[in-house]
Amino acid sequence: MLSDAEKKRYSRQIRLFGEDGQERLLRTSVFIAGAGGLGSVISLYMAAAGFGKIRIVDCDTVELSNLNRQILHGNADVGRAKAKSAYESLTGINPEIEVEALVETISEENIDQLLQGCDIIMDAMDNFPVRYLLNRAALQRKIPLFHGAISGYQGQATTIIPGKTACLACIFPRAPPASVFPALGSTCGVIGSIQVTEAVKYVTGAGKLLENRLLFWDGLNGCLDEMACERNSACRECSDGEY
Amino acid sequence: MLIALPDGSRREIAGDIARIEDILKQLCINPEEVIVAKNGRIVSEEETAGGSDELKIVRFVHGG
Ligand SMILES: [Zn+2]
Repeated sequence: MLSDAEKKRYSRQIRLFGEDGQERLLRTSVFIAGAGGLGSVISLYMAAAGFGKIRIVDCDTVELSNLNRQILHGNADVGRAKAKSAYESLTGINPEIEVEALVETISEENIDQLLQGCDIIMDAMDNFPVRYLLNRAALQRKIPLFHGAISGYQGQATTIIPGKTACLACIFPRAPPASVFPALGSTCGVIGSIQVTEAVKYVTGAGKLLENRLLFWDGLNGCLDEMACERNSACRECSDGEY
Repeated sequence: MLIALPDGSRREIAGDIARIEDILKQLCINPEEVIVAKNGRIVSEEETAGGSDELKIVRFVHGG
């Protein structure tokens, strides 16, 4: 049952998916991998929307060059752990949810423990090797992975449902070459918002998900495009019959 | 075969059916940086294309 304060706080979105939908969000435990550009947008909107439990993980400290896009962190946070300022921003926006912010590097060794109790995974990473770890963990746990990535004016997003859709390795069998990428805050805003919208739809059971559809945002030309994808029967991650 | 390139331009290529890997090579595009859709559907570079197929080559991104 929602409290009176919760009914008031979430009243505009309860108009969308009812108190039942809001209760579902409040019961959902979210893992957010990264508190950078995408992680900022994703975690702020998820906290505001009332996802009941948010675990956000980042190993970095805030740098001045992060502040053009990483809106979880402010000028006074430069030099502090991103997880620390993330905790303060998120509980500041919504003190009624549970926030756990961890200073950790996501690795093969700790990912199982980090994901314990989580219902969905939000990809806010800046590299494919860790994304592949998230993908494998999502497949093993049979929980959805909401993929997003950005560079400059450009971004992409898709929703991965184990057992139903292509996995990340089906779509991107190879990691792109690592490089320092240009980053614009508003591109993180577009892609992170799409990921959160997907998560809200998934949890409340509304609409049509980005399942087997890879969405592209080309901000420079103001274009959205999509490509259909399907499970690869030879995929190294999801084709062994287990998923 | 009509090809939409990552820079937004389009190119008509005549010729026989070829592996997508070889088409990318011919266009001087690094296959590690792109994904390719044939007639709207993402395909691996081992697949072939030609004739009236439409290819779309998109540079995907990895930042966050
Ligand atoms: Zn797969």
